[in-house]
Amino acid sequence: MKKLIFELEDVWYSYLSKFPALCGVDLKIGEGEKIAIVGANGTGKTTLLQLLDGLIFPDKGVIRAFGNRLNEELFSEPDLARNFRKKVGFVFQNADVQLFCPTVKEDIIFGPLQLGVGHEETIKRLKDISEQLNIAHLIERSPHQLSVGEKRKVAIATTLAVSGEVLILDEPTAGLDPKTTRHIVDIILQANKNGATIITATHDLHIIEEIADTIYCLGSNRNIARSGASKDLLKDKTFLEENNLVHVHRHAHADAIHTHEHEHIDHHH
Amino acid sequence: MGALSFFKDSIYAEEYASYKGFLQCLDVRIKVLIMLLFVVCVILSKNIFVIFFLYLLCLLLNIFSRINILFFLKRTWIFIPLFSLFIALPAIFSVVTPGDEVFGFKLAVFHLSITRQGLLSAGIFLIRVVTSVSFVILLTLTTRNTELLRALRIFKVPQIFVMIIGMCYRYIYLFVEVIENTYLAIKSRVGLLMPHKKGRDIVAWNIGSLWQRSYYLNQAVYNAMLSRGYTGEPKTMHEFKTSYLDWVSLFGSLAVIFLALYLGNAKI
Repeated sequence: MKKLIFELEDVWYSYLSKFPALCGVDLKIGEGEKIAIVGANGTGKTTLLQLLDGLIFPDKGVIRAFGNRLNEELFSEPDLARNFRKKVGFVFQNADVQLFCPTVKEDIIFGPLQLGVGHEETIKRLKDISEQLNIAHLIERSPHQLSVGEKRKVAIATTLAVSGEVLILDEPTAGLDPKTTRHIVDIILQANKNGATIITATHDLHIIEEIADTIYCLGSNRNIARSGASKDLLKDKTFLEENNLVHVHRHAHADAIHTHEHEHIDHHH
Repeated sequence: MGALSFFKDSIYAEEYASYKGFLQCLDVRIKVLIMLLFVVCVILSKNIFVIFFLYLLCLLLNIFSRINILFFLKRTWIFIPLFSLFIALPAIFSVVTPGDEVFGFKLAVFHLSITRQGLLSAGIFLIRVVTSVSFVILLTLTTRNTELLRALRIFKVPQIFVMIIGMCYRYIYLFVEVIENTYLAIKSRVGLLMPHKKGRDIVAWNIGSLWQRSYYLNQAVYNAMLSRGYTGEPKTMHEFKTSYLDWVSLFGSLAVIFLALYLGNAKI
């Protein structure tokens, strides 16, 4: 049995106490696992990830991370909070939000410095990660001058510089071209190979099988509608249809227009 | 759009802080202290020539710090000094400041005259604002934001205040982008020419919408900072260290400030 990293028991969360986002979520994530959180828009994927990163706290229910209860009290203890942040990194859906320093270099070293990592070690991490992610040529540039794909890579670098244990990614490949998507997937897989637990929220079914062994699907009732091995769930057409993960698509082949299901698995054209 | 790109340039002008200029070489604490003392000196001086001398000194420091003079003048003369000019304008007339008439004219049935005393007091007010703003902008241009915030904490500025400034700075660029995108979206849908009433409605709607979005962005940036271990005290690679140049600059500035205060308040 793998060591449990996250354990959620009957977790409820609502915005402004009137807009429910999650209703009774149960979830267990073990060390080194690759998890995908899928579901239609508005089913609470981002909320769930923010709960796992301790940015928000449940209205009801319990979240445990590394055996400790994840709540406001934990973050009021500087040592516990620092320890948690050192272990868990979060790549936000909007990279612009994550890159708030004047240069890429400062953005990458921001996390380690806040967490008390020594200057030499911080510089080493900057060098290693920027080489690993092939962004060494960008480090003196301002984040707002980068392309969407470059911003996404830098956002991942800022997270990897802080943490190597758990990587939470919110739609990391949304809006990227196939080549950049491939590079991001490779980075995620490499992190997993190095021992990181990967938790990804995504709509890109064609990358799921690679980046996740297990899928948790959030349904319209805002809890886990189904979970299972990604290989099995991706073959289940009814499941995919019910959760808005496939759609009917019109194609023209040699002037003959026909309609068929489009699954986004093989980049069908 | 022009105003927006100027604003963007202003926010992201941190490149000047990385230049090897005179003020960039000073310890941030010493620099903050010197600039603060200059601002106090400008406020306390009553002689327009002394304040003007301090303004020239500020421009000289700007040149030694390798900042583009046109960029600096644009930044220091737009917004606050122009606004101050509008405030100071009534003071030049005899109705507000009686005195020796320099120029008189008739407006309907009223005879208005501009007085020497009025011009002098408006002039002092304006040059005082420009000089103070220039010193502050010179400080922000030649200092990295994170170091400036750290220095403020050393001067015992409350943490909550420093934290709010830090967050504002971090999300303001995103905010400018939101405005830019909204403007482009309006332009693409309705074009640039539209009736005044419709234009006003769009502006009003935008203000409300931007308020909501700015709240969301602020929260999102703060979450991103928290997620990477931010606790309210910014930590940087740079260690504060004073050198011979810092102490010479501090004592040199003190000498100039005392002289300016003496001359600025002496009955010459």
